[in-house]
Amino acid sequence: MNAILEVKNVSKRFGGLRAVKDVSFAMLQGEILFVIGPNGAGKTTVFNLISGFLHPDQGSITFNGHDITRMAPHDSARLGIGRTFQIVKPLPSLTVAQNVMLGAFMHTGRVSQAEKEAGKILDFLQMTSLRDFQARGLPLAALKRLEIARALATKPKLILLDEVVSGLTTAEALALAGLVKRLPEWGVSVVGGVEHVMQVVMKIAERIVVLDYGAKIAEGKPEEVVKNPAVIEAYLGPKYKEIAR
Amino acid sequence: MSGWRFWVLLGVACAVCCLPLLSNNNYLLQVLFRIALFGGLGLAWNLVGGYAGQLSLGHVAFFGMGAYGLAIFTAHHVPMWISLLLAALVSTLIGGVIGKIVFRLRGPYFTLATIAFAEVLRLGAANLQITGGAIGLSTPSLFTGEAFWKLFYLSAIVLAVLSFLANYWTSRSRFGYYLMAIREDEDTASAVGIDTANYKLRSLLISAYLTALAGAFYGSAFQFIVPDSVLTIDISVQIAIIAMLGGAGTLFGPIVGALLLVSASELFKNEFGERHLLIYGTLIVLVVLFLPEGIVGSLQQHVRRRRKPPASSAASALGRAEVQGVAEQ
Amino acid sequence: MTTFLQACLDGLLIGALYALIGMGLALIFGVMRIVNFAHGAFLMLGMYASFLMFDRYQINPYYGFLPAGILLFIFGYLVYKLLIQPIRNRSEFMQILMTIGIDLILIDLAQLTFGADYHQANIDLVNRSLHAGPFTINAASLLSFGLAAVFIVGLQQFVMRSRPGQALRATAQNRDVAPLMGINVIRIQGLSFALGIAFAGIAGGLLLPALYLFPSVGEDYTLKAFVIVVLGGMGSIEGAAIGGLVLGVAESLTSTYIGNQWALAIDFVLFLLVLSLKPSGIFGRQRA
Repeated sequence: MNAILEVKNVSKRFGGLRAVKDVSFAMLQGEILFVIGPNGAGKTTVFNLISGFLHPDQGSITFNGHDITRMAPHDSARLGIGRTFQIVKPLPSLTVAQNVMLGAFMHTGRVSQAEKEAGKILDFLQMTSLRDFQARGLPLAALKRLEIARALATKPKLILLDEVVSGLTTAEALALAGLVKRLPEWGVSVVGGVEHVMQVVMKIAERIVVLDYGAKIAEGKPEEVVKNPAVIEAYLGPKYKEIAR
Repeated sequence: MSGWRFWVLLGVACAVCCLPLLSNNNYLLQVLFRIALFGGLGLAWNLVGGYAGQLSLGHVAFFGMGAYGLAIFTAHHVPMWISLLLAALVSTLIGGVIGKIVFRLRGPYFTLATIAFAEVLRLGAANLQITGGAIGLSTPSLFTGEAFWKLFYLSAIVLAVLSFLANYWTSRSRFGYYLMAIREDEDTASAVGIDTANYKLRSLLISAYLTALAGAFYGSAFQFIVPDSVLTIDISVQIAIIAMLGGAGTLFGPIVGALLLVSASELFKNEFGERHLLIYGTLIVLVVLFLPEGIVGSLQQHVRRRRKPPASSAASALGRAEVQGVAEQ
Repeated sequence: MTTFLQACLDGLLIGALYALIGMGLALIFGVMRIVNFAHGAFLMLGMYASFLMFDRYQINPYYGFLPAGILLFIFGYLVYKLLIQPIRNRSEFMQILMTIGIDLILIDLAQLTFGADYHQANIDLVNRSLHAGPFTINAASLLSFGLAAVFIVGLQQFVMRSRPGQALRATAQNRDVAPLMGINVIRIQGLSFALGIAFAGIAGGLLLPALYLFPSVGEDYTLKAFVIVVLGGMGSIEGAAIGGLVLGVAESLTSTYIGNQWALAIDFVLFLLVLSLKPSGIFGRQRA
């Protein structure tokens, strides 16, 4: 089993703020890994670093054997890293189908082919009935799925899902989580970033990495991490450290 | 609209446009020449400003380079028609170089840079020997004789058709989708693997080439060019308004815009001449406030809204769909 | 050497006026993220306002610039309410287009109202000069420098110290969170726009003695304002102040050593240079 993604000693600062401090973790092919942490822990920064929207000040990131530390976002996308955005970024005046076709165009130059690919993905995400609606004006649950659909259409080997269930009702979140759990069927390894909605994380994560103030404070299986005193302190404060008994 | 139906309709439209060639009214032909030329210009601009969503107000740079290029190359004994192609090529090349710098900028900086670029060219043309300074240059007549205006009108139609075909192809190809993605959200575009700088540049190159050709024909038809006739920001604004009033990002918008605006400016020539700033300014304000999609764009939106029911009913099902998926585990 | 320093001196004197223009634009951009292509046109209106007062009521522009500024503050607020506020949430593209439209309208309205003829305000002070060692200082330039300096410092203090100023800065930093602090964002944006326009008007009034007045006199100044704002870092008022001085000196040096007609070209060159090399400006905060 090989590591598909290796983040090694990565740091990033913005002026005086050290957003990510010496973070390292690795991920195996086909895994579902979640990066969690309280607000401001640096999860989105880590995602931006992996997908090329930001570059680390120190450290390196390797994907499938390629050094992607300084890669431009469109290049890492072409290499096989797909992503969704925490604040959804649909293409508002295009239809759902057209949005997804954008992703499919990475592997085909033909509009008809892209349409077919988009159709398949929309089926998997159960959005076929929405395919001809403009993305503008769709409710959040649909837009979150659209983000995933578009990323999936690029046939990624790794998909970064940044806060993909935040803002959804519990029912919507669980429904989406069920789909996320099936992504490895498409040959996609998953890195999810989540601040709360822990029920989702517990149900589908195979491993968890916990960040707090930019540093990694724990890593392991969900059941272990949840009992880790450092993690509890990070989320609930020092008073609750005692819970881990 | 696709396949054979499209080509038939295009053929019919061309035939209709050729009807004026039967008349001998030079004044009419001249006006139609301008309508067709600006239709082509609007369509060319549409690639950059409509599909790619980059507000260029410096397109007159290519227009002027085409005109001046034709004049200068011919003055140096290059055969006329080769001069024409050369001028267009050179303009495109220069456009490419400037584009590389300028497309790194977003939003207003980009627009400003395009204005700056065109203004620098105008200043240069007004102050350099080779361009005749403020006095200008005479341009060779690509056509001569009685059929002068007929041939120019025909050329303008050909150019407009070329620009239209460029738009048509763009709107139905991956290239077009990529441009639209860039327009809507550059980050998202990057995330799906689009090299945004590259594609913006490509749209500019095509646009520049077509615009330069139009400029050359314009210069040739009016036989004398000065910086203030072919390098003024007025023309950039005109082109942009034509596309926006008709509908930027649509196929037929720029055509509608050119028809309306150029004929209006001809019909109300005096008023337009004196108050053209006020008219264009008011048009812009009105379009931005009330008709941002342009005429054709608004019609399209209207049709779309009447055809589809709101999305909320279909989408709310997503919440209920497979809750079983995870809850049961 | 003396020539060089003299040119720098002249540049600094005019630079203060440029600073006023640039600061107004920076204020508008900082708070509203709108790039006001009509800035120069408002400056032009300020000039006409001052001119009218001079022509009709013999009010010296060095007093008259004040009412001009106030008039333009009110006018700016009206323009904001009618034309900018309705589109504050639209795309950048549309907002840029709108200010361009306003620019065209204002120029033509000025032409309709005042005619295309050149006007001039003949102030005696313009012909007087002071001498300090080997240097010549034009009296009028010195006066306008002094007055401009007052307003530059005044604006900076206002933005830093006063309640509304804090609200301005808060809105500039985070438009979405500002309402949570009890800030009426719409009104603050209106204030910043009006203030920015007022400063353009003040600069216009102060420039009146030195220039010929005609409807499109302001257009070059729009570009100058942009160069200044970009030089100083978009949205930074202090940066714009410094940028104004820098531009003044650059233009002055260009005029002296290369030639008058190329002074405008240096505006473009600086603009393109800064945007290609250091888009975040000298005091850079945001990326271009």
